[in-house]
Amino acid sequence: MSDKPEKLIADDGLRLDGRRADEIRPMKIEIGVLSRADGSCYLEWGRNKILVGVFGPREAHPRRSQRADSAVIRYRYNMASFSVEDRARPGPSRRSIEISKVSREAFEPVIMAEMFPKTAIDIFVEVLQADAGTRTAAINASSIALADAGIPMKGLITSCAFGKVDGQIVLDLNKEEDNYGEADFPVAMTQDGEITLVQMDGHLTPEEIKKGMELVKKGCKEILEIQQAVLRKKFETPVDEIPEVATGAEKEGGKEEAVPASELAPEVVVEEAFEEAEELGAEISEEPSEADILSSEVVPDFEEELEEDIELEEDIEEEFETEEEFEAEEEEFEEEALEEEAEFEAESEEDLEEDLEEDLGEELEEEEFEEEALEEEAEFEASFEGTPELKEFEEIEARLEKETASREAEEEIELGSETEEPSEEETSSEEEAEVEEEVEVEEEAEVEETTASEEAIEPEREAESEAETTEVSTEEAEAEEPEEEKSEGPWKVVKDPSEAGTRGEKDE
Amino acid sequence: MSEIIATLKKDYIYSLMVKEKRQDGRGFKEFRDLKLETNVISKAEGSAKVTLGNTQVLVGVKLQTGTPFPDSQDEGVIITNLELNPIASPEFEPGPPREEAIEMARVVDRGIRESGAIDIKKLCITVGESVWIVFIDIHILNDDGNIIDASCLAAIAALMTTVVPNEQQGLGENVPLAMKEMPVGITLAKIGSKLMVDPSLDEEAVCETKLTIVSSSDGSVAGMQKMGPAPLTEAELFEAIDLAIEKATEIRELYLEGLAKSE
Repeated sequence: MSDKPEKLIADDGLRLDGRRADEIRPMKIEIGVLSRADGSCYLEWGRNKILVGVFGPREAHPRRSQRADSAVIRYRYNMASFSVEDRARPGPSRRSIEISKVSREAFEPVIMAEMFPKTAIDIFVEVLQADAGTRTAAINASSIALADAGIPMKGLITSCAFGKVDGQIVLDLNKEEDNYGEADFPVAMTQDGEITLVQMDGHLTPEEIKKGMELVKKGCKEILEIQQAVLRKKFETPVDEIPEVATGAEKEGGKEEAVPASELAPEVVVEEAFEEAEELGAEISEEPSEADILSSEVVPDFEEELEEDIELEEDIEEEFETEEEFEAEEEEFEEEALEEEAEFEAESEEDLEEDLEEDLGEELEEEEFEEEALEEEAEFEASFEGTPELKEFEEIEARLEKETASREAEEEIELGSETEEPSEEETSSEEEAEVEEEVEVEEEAEVEETTASEEAIEPEREAESEAETTEVSTEEAEAEEPEEEKSEGPWKVVKDPSEAGTRGEKDE
Repeated sequence: MSEIIATLKKDYIYSLMVKEKRQDGRGFKEFRDLKLETNVISKAEGSAKVTLGNTQVLVGVKLQTGTPFPDSQDEGVIITNLELNPIASPEFEPGPPREEAIEMARVVDRGIRESGAIDIKKLCITVGESVWIVFIDIHILNDDGNIIDASCLAAIAALMTTVVPNEQQGLGENVPLAMKEMPVGITLAKIGSKLMVDPSLDEEAVCETKLTIVSSSDGSVAGMQKMGPAPLTEAELFEAIDLAIEKATEIRELYLEGLAKSE
């Protein structure tokens, strides 16, 4: 162990590693580095090297650890014996048990565990190389890994420490500063700045703590931006790839129904829709608010996302019932994707029955919106006639229109007697459903944009029109369902991209 | 540790909270009856028992000689252990310490260590070879809430009455353990939007999160730990720090300064 350097902060205000008091160490993040884990992340922060794997939601063992009303979250912080100067004894130490506990609690406010009763969500942290601030680094990495695993979260957690070195309050201590500094104060917070982890040791006055908290907020904001950028990079699909995806999926037929839709990261969809919008200026301008937003706010910035988060959190409780339905459908979908088509049909018939039963109550309201939505759809389909690169659509479009008509008819029948099945149509229309899905994705992207514009009516309409498609065919509804969830705040980043990831991989 | 609590009781505590009241009639800044006894175990080098309402905590301090850590060759060693004895609650089971026990022990330990309560340089017998190791063993005898504050107080009181057994090792006369600081830990429970000191067992069970703040006599903070799943706002954090420092000063004056003088 080296002796204490004479000064940890030079006279010109630079620290030993050349940083200023309010700067964090350079951070590098990689996502999806482990193939067997549901989500993973490798993070380097200064000389820290952290690897995180997330498993689950999966059955909780032992059974007595299960919770009837929510998932159990398990967090295991483990230091590799070679990660520190003097070999650490392998296995849990009192320190690592404590860190595991407070880190788990740091995530409990954001993980939507109530969506997965009786399951466990395991977060395994391996500290490969330690250089002060491993718990904060591990939390930052876990946040990404959870997003990668598609665990629904209300937002990302970011973590950063401040400390006191040579009497000065500085951000993100390195090893020397941690060893010889006077205080260490790790904090983890949500995107809205709510504190989910606080620990402290050392000697600080209340004024110093206030000053340090300001630094931490700045640090966490920077880290959040890094985390978001990394997630975008992984889950965004470049714009020019979208037509390829569409044609590819069409050729391959019905086997990968959901893949194209879910591969489209929401931001990309927005951009694509924006391009279309320019061509289709006439139609769009009928609704000036939409056009305004499309031209001004293509990529929402950090603060807007925060606002959306708050809105989302409020909405979540209202929409909870619907989410449960989606959850159920989601599971069904994954099973189905692996099964033979015949089985698939049989199952989706059952699903349809269930859906219809559930939806019947809401149907009266929805019928009002049906017409509106269908008109809109037709408008959109029509608008593609002009665009040269979408010739494939033209062929199908005609069929689609018939489809829509026949569906309307069928729906009426269904409403009369629940037992009637549109199974024949389902098989024959798989291809079309897919394409139609594309169309709708783009349509939704626009609605999505309007959502951001704080218009109250638009999101409602979107929700309703989707609820309507749920009835039309189960399969389509399932493909649709990630889109619905995409429409708001942090889920854009968190839930869907990973859906895309896992589904894409598994289906292939 | 969170005992199953009836929804009715939870609603009751919350409805009281809205009216600025507590189950046992205390104010939000009011402790339960606190009693401190020292030198309760003559075999130990130092000991203290704290009774806080019905919560009872006993701390014994033992000193042994041993080798120092390689990175602090001229310093004594402090080892803090907390046992959630099965005698204290039907919730506690025998066996290896659970994470709550480890966490609380480490919070108490950090408070004592980081505030510089013990002059560990004076515990050095031969540099690099032999130092005194101070074992602080915390026994929870009855858990009726807020065992951590009781443990912090009992631990510092026990240390203040500890005698270094030099005679036993042939190192001259026995001397009192050199103390420099009197850290006091105060735990605040967040129930709804309110922070209250000294949570009872029921309040602990329904509270969203707890925050323990250990502060020194100069009004600085030596240790802090948030325990529990719910988040805190920054304003709540600062409010908690001010409240904890205020209460810690009160308790230090009432219970510990008398001990310091009697030595």
